[in-house]
Amino acid sequence: MTATDAKANRLDFRSRGFDFASFAFTGITGLATLFILAILAIIIANIVWHGWGTFSWRFLTGSADQDMFDVNKAGVLPMVIGTALRVLVMTIVVVPVGVITAVYLTEYAHSTALTTRVIRGAVNNLAGVPSIVFGLFGLGFFISFIGRGLDGGAAEPLWGKPAIVWASLTLSVMTLPLVIVATEESLRAITPGLREASLALGATKLETIIKIVLPEALPGILTGGILAVGRAGGEVAPILFTGAAYYMRDLPHSLTDQFMDLGYHVFILSTQSPDIEKTRPILFATVLALLLLTLSLNLVAVIVRARVRKRMRASH
Amino acid sequence: MAAFSSSQVTLNQSKPADGAGAPLITSERVNLFYGPAQALKDITLTIGERRVTAFIGPSGCGKSTFLRCFNRMNDLIDSVRITGSIKVGGQDIHSPDVDVIELRKRIGMVFQKSNPFPKSIYDNVAYGLKLHGMKAKSDLDTAVEQSLRGAALWDEVKDRLHSSALGLSGGQQQRLCIARAIAIKPEILLMDEPASALDPIATAKIEELILALKREFTIVIVTHNMQQAARISDHTAFFYLGELVEFDATAKIFTNPAKRQTEDYVTGRFG
Amino acid sequence: MGIHRGHQARPLEWLAEKFIFLVSLTAILMVFLIFVFVAREALPLVLGQMNSAAARPVIAAKEMDKLKPEELRTYLGLTATEFKQLDKEALQALMEVREEEAKEAPKDKDATLNTTEWRYLFQPHQWSDSRPEDRYVWQPIGRIHKYNLVPLIIGSLKTTAVALLFSVPLALAAALYVSQLASPTMKEWLKPAIELLSGVPSVVLGFFALMVLASFLQGAFGYQSRLNAFVAGIALGLAVIPVVFSIAEDALTSVPRAYTQAALALGASKWQAAWQIVLPAAAPGVFAAVVLGFGRAIGETMVVLMASGNASIMSFSLFDSTRSITATIAAELAEAVFGGHHYRILFLIGAMLFVVTFLTNLAGDLIMHRLKGRLEGKAK
Repeated sequence: MTATDAKANRLDFRSRGFDFASFAFTGITGLATLFILAILAIIIANIVWHGWGTFSWRFLTGSADQDMFDVNKAGVLPMVIGTALRVLVMTIVVVPVGVITAVYLTEYAHSTALTTRVIRGAVNNLAGVPSIVFGLFGLGFFISFIGRGLDGGAAEPLWGKPAIVWASLTLSVMTLPLVIVATEESLRAITPGLREASLALGATKLETIIKIVLPEALPGILTGGILAVGRAGGEVAPILFTGAAYYMRDLPHSLTDQFMDLGYHVFILSTQSPDIEKTRPILFATVLALLLLTLSLNLVAVIVRARVRKRMRASH
Repeated sequence: MAAFSSSQVTLNQSKPADGAGAPLITSERVNLFYGPAQALKDITLTIGERRVTAFIGPSGCGKSTFLRCFNRMNDLIDSVRITGSIKVGGQDIHSPDVDVIELRKRIGMVFQKSNPFPKSIYDNVAYGLKLHGMKAKSDLDTAVEQSLRGAALWDEVKDRLHSSALGLSGGQQQRLCIARAIAIKPEILLMDEPASALDPIATAKIEELILALKREFTIVIVTHNMQQAARISDHTAFFYLGELVEFDATAKIFTNPAKRQTEDYVTGRFG
Repeated sequence: MGIHRGHQARPLEWLAEKFIFLVSLTAILMVFLIFVFVAREALPLVLGQMNSAAARPVIAAKEMDKLKPEELRTYLGLTATEFKQLDKEALQALMEVREEEAKEAPKDKDATLNTTEWRYLFQPHQWSDSRPEDRYVWQPIGRIHKYNLVPLIIGSLKTTAVALLFSVPLALAAALYVSQLASPTMKEWLKPAIELLSGVPSVVLGFFALMVLASFLQGAFGYQSRLNAFVAGIALGLAVIPVVFSIAEDALTSVPRAYTQAALALGASKWQAAWQIVLPAAAPGVFAAVVLGFGRAIGETMVVLMASGNASIMSFSLFDSTRSITATIAAELAEAVFGGHHYRILFLIGAMLFVVTFLTNLAGDLIMHRLKGRLEGKAK
């Protein structure tokens, strides 16, 4: 072999055949990804397929006072209203608290201070508390302690019993980390230049936060709120003891009433139906209603969040 | 402009007798530390009124850090510690009874990366005015127009005052930031490499603007572009490794510097 | 001169800052309150103040006057305030009820045991009315209240183990694919799509497991009971996948691009860079993902409640019906007498669950913190 040949050989970039390891690795991980998506698709498709027939305007707006186990009469309006109410009250409580906490963590706190670390630790921990423990907490704290305290030993308890307000408060404690984390993320995505520009013009910190920072963070705050609503909308365990009712003839009149709930109704229909075969269509349609609610909210949140992240990458 | 008569600073103005102008900013033995690292060493210098003063030097020499001392933007960083004194118009700006908010109203700043608020062009300029109490629409309109004219931007944007500032070109955005800064009639304008992200044509416009603004404002500009410093400034300070190596009339710095390091830098024989 | 206005000139600013700080303490306060108020309901039990014995020693009602008030109060199991509100006649009546109860109480030897003592909660006991092989029994309703927690703990661990074995490999593989191998455009679609799975409420996953998955898996594997730890575990895995995926993907993405590029420039293929460089660098984050996935699995309620069959059988087989700690609380609390021993036991296991997840989260958190420090070059 001549020297030129050797050199030509060294500079030969043609592929040296099939790279099996690369193929296997990409294949396995890619298949895992595909498998997860397939399961998600199967779940959704299955529910839509079986639920579509019963799912109708009449079903969504029908009341449950005739017979909630009869396919032709049952409606889910009371459950939709109950779920909407408890989520609405929750949002009113959790969004301000969550946003203010996030503002503290990003705008005021010294990142290394002990308080900051403890707050962060608490937020992360709150996110990991099992939902059933929130239910116990709601019962032990809101109903037994605060509610009974408010009643002060009255014979007919007004506050010291399961109610929308207690379920909502319990859920707002549960979703607090979601709002904090989402808001914080969008606060951090704002270029420091904007804050500097405002401060250099002689704005105070508070003015800068209210006029420049929060309007910019609005998409993130929305994401947090939507995620919280989506998460809380489908949660059942925390409301089992704090407000959900198996059956109520009337719609709730005040925040101290109990309520019927979509998610809880799914649980009842799945496990306590008098005739599972006959109520199956109602069940699937109810699940469809619940899934439409939570997934569409999540979808919106995911889209908004992706935009925020994109902008963050662009600005850094 | 009644709203602003009260915020005009009255300084002991003696007309500049020499070429340096009446002293407006004086810094004495200023040291600045980021945690344990020292970024500025014993900086002493005096900046004259209605002059353009340029800070030059290689990256990391402390020129921007020093600029940010004047309106106390370094306060925003937790680990910063400053010793020595900086006086603006005779007052120590670190004195405990100084309100940093009031200070920043008197000292405008333009940043390296243009940072218009994600609002309309009009609202960007009006932001500072509203903050400081101007409410009447007619007053605001006048002040916004004046500022935009002052920043040589009016003709380009007068037909789209209410469209987003983010739709402007880079050079226009930077001039908008200048308009925003001069709208609240500061005494001093700090500019931190205002043209470094711009193309030559936009840069030329900004430089033209700076020369025009000099009639009304005291300007301190940080630049890494020596030609720019030579073109627009009256005085130039050369910083190296956190130290002020030389500070003199621009002509002298560029033609006959006293220090070897300065000469090496301005002639480009420098790493 | 205008700039001579001190900070005290802005009381609003100062007040706002304090207010914001106070509000931000809410999260800490809540974690604290959760622990305190869940533990509070379990406290009398822990202090040994509860007695669940079906047959308790009886003092004849006519002997009442001989007892000191304090003795009487303890005998009737009343709180101080309750005791104060009752007059003598009411107390007398309570004593008579107690006497009546005693007549009907079961006579066997277990009836006198206080089953809320620690040894009956955790250690085996041969009950007089159970089969010899049932020495760990959870049976709160009945003549004798049997509160052995071991079957529940095993139930929770079984379903959690299945869930992790199913979800962790899938989620990690997907995280590797999405963060390292997929093109940026694909990633933009895949990541939100997988995270959408976390938007499926757990009651829907439970429903799906109960109505669809259970029959499918029974058909495929041919085991006896349709609802069991295996089915519940798989469904639980679906809830765990998005948790593990999200955290692991974040950890993998946070490894600086420079590492990968350096490896690629040396002639490594994409997968070699991912497997040999990125994965080890992100290992703590991946581990944290698994730890937090465990926390999610052991705390999940509805899926297990609906798909596990809910029989508290002491068994290690994955294909027996089973019952977890969470499902037990959900299923039984509504029927437990407020303030009674059953009620307090349920709060006790709730508090235990809280402590376990608290520690799990703390561990996950610390690991992530370390990882962040390491990647930013701060940690030693």
